[in-house]
Amino acid sequence: MPRITLGRLPFENLRRKPFRTAALVIVVTMLTVAFYGGALLATNLKTGLNSMQERMGADLMVVPQNTGSKAEALLTSGTSSTFYFTNDIVKLVAGADGIGQATSQTYISSLAAACCDEKVQIIGFDPATDFVIEPWITSQYDGTLKDGEVVAGANINVSENGAIRLYNHDFPVAAQLAATGTSLDNSVFVNENTIPAVVSYSAKVGHAAIPQEYADKAVSAVLIKTADGYDAHTVAGNIAKASGISTLGYVYPGGVTASTRASLNALVGYAGLFLAVFWTMGLVVLFAVFASSMNERKREFAAYRIMGATRGMLVGLIVRESATIGLIGGVIGIAAASLAILPFNTLIGKQLQLPYLQTGIVTVLALVVAGLAFAVATGLIASIATAVKLSAPETYLTLREGE
Amino acid sequence: MTRKLFATLPAIVLGALIAIAPQTFAYVCKVEDGMKMACHYTAQAALGLGVVIALLGILGLFVAPQVRAGLNIAVILNAALVVAVPTVLIGVCKGAMMHCHMVTLPTLIVLGVLSVVLAAIAVWFDIRDTKTAR
Repeated sequence: MPRITLGRLPFENLRRKPFRTAALVIVVTMLTVAFYGGALLATNLKTGLNSMQERMGADLMVVPQNTGSKAEALLTSGTSSTFYFTNDIVKLVAGADGIGQATSQTYISSLAAACCDEKVQIIGFDPATDFVIEPWITSQYDGTLKDGEVVAGANINVSENGAIRLYNHDFPVAAQLAATGTSLDNSVFVNENTIPAVVSYSAKVGHAAIPQEYADKAVSAVLIKTADGYDAHTVAGNIAKASGISTLGYVYPGGVTASTRASLNALVGYAGLFLAVFWTMGLVVLFAVFASSMNERKREFAAYRIMGATRGMLVGLIVRESATIGLIGGVIGIAAASLAILPFNTLIGKQLQLPYLQTGIVTVLALVVAGLAFAVATGLIASIATAVKLSAPETYLTLREGE
Repeated sequence: MTRKLFATLPAIVLGALIAIAPQTFAYVCKVEDGMKMACHYTAQAALGLGVVIALLGILGLFVAPQVRAGLNIAVILNAALVVAVPTVLIGVCKGAMMHCHMVTLPTLIVLGVLSVVLAAIAVWFDIRDTKTAR
């Protein structure tokens, strides 16, 4: 017969009432899944948004008429597309007042072909004037991007021989960039001299990305950093005047970030509200179960008192039982939520259509600790009324009620 | 009876899911022009391992607790292989946006880990019950 000590008593009590213990653990588990899972998702979305903001670079994008939404989608949701100007837009834009820096980019959406011949966004940039892509690439790749070479985003499938197959041609990959949680992870970057070659390969497979006559001068967007003291909207007006084209499309990356942040904040706000309601409901359930079990256990507590247990010991017993339930529920909840979120982070990011970047290990560990603290605190709060009742001076009378 | 179901049902259900998932909702890349990618072989291996895990679970319904504990140890080893096949032993396609990388890989990891944990708990219960009975 095992000897039960005061230290082991709470665990023995929980073991002897498996259904009550299981019910309480399930409630704490559900609350922890909601708290920890929600916090992890919100943190990943925030990390993705910050990453997107860092990658924007430009204050204004000038794009062809009616392609503004395509350009915005390219910045946020990862939908690849092809669009281009048929005139010399760089020269037309250059004359406008308020432009600090300007660079051109060309966007081509490759074909979705076989299993490992993916549809990716090809982004051609001009190394001589670029201020958006290069600072980021050079933070991870110190060489110069040669003609015909590509720099691949984090999600691009680079083959064993260090190449990527696009339009039935193997392009050597000079470097692969770290994940940003944005559409750039599904893009490959080439210098502008490579664009005519890409177009000719696309023509060879019968799907010309851009007509041959525009292959060496096609520009999809002019990215502008405004001069000091100039607002992006004012510069857009100046460009319309200087170019004489009133139908140009304008995208304001800062505005795109702000609207994404606003929708993200709304999403997190609703999730927080739902979590608060859910937690209150769970707490009420736990509170009710603890209170009713206290009522059932009056004889048991009276017996402890007869055996010499002090009021403090009884309170300690209740507190340790509830903390243990909180800890077990917390561990199960955190394990379940981690298993559901961490391995599926790419799928979640794709389904959400929002910038989503898996946060670092340190933050995840901090959230794990916070989740465990939350679970134990929930268990303790639920048992507080019972503990207060037991610690009252008239405990003896309370316990006698059970006789 | 409840204990028996608890010790066998997870292996039956999870084993079936491990076998079915890569063939259905967590599908892998199609074989085109005779070119078979790593994920194709991962799906084949998962099919075999899943069937074995499910069969071990079914066998557990008809045996004594100490034998069932042994069967669940076999489930643990097979489930560990379910995790190892897409991650270390065979793998899946490298591209992070490929369906096999984005869905099949995490699905097999989650199903494998759940199988290991639930089978380990079942082993613990069965061994404890056997000791208590003595």
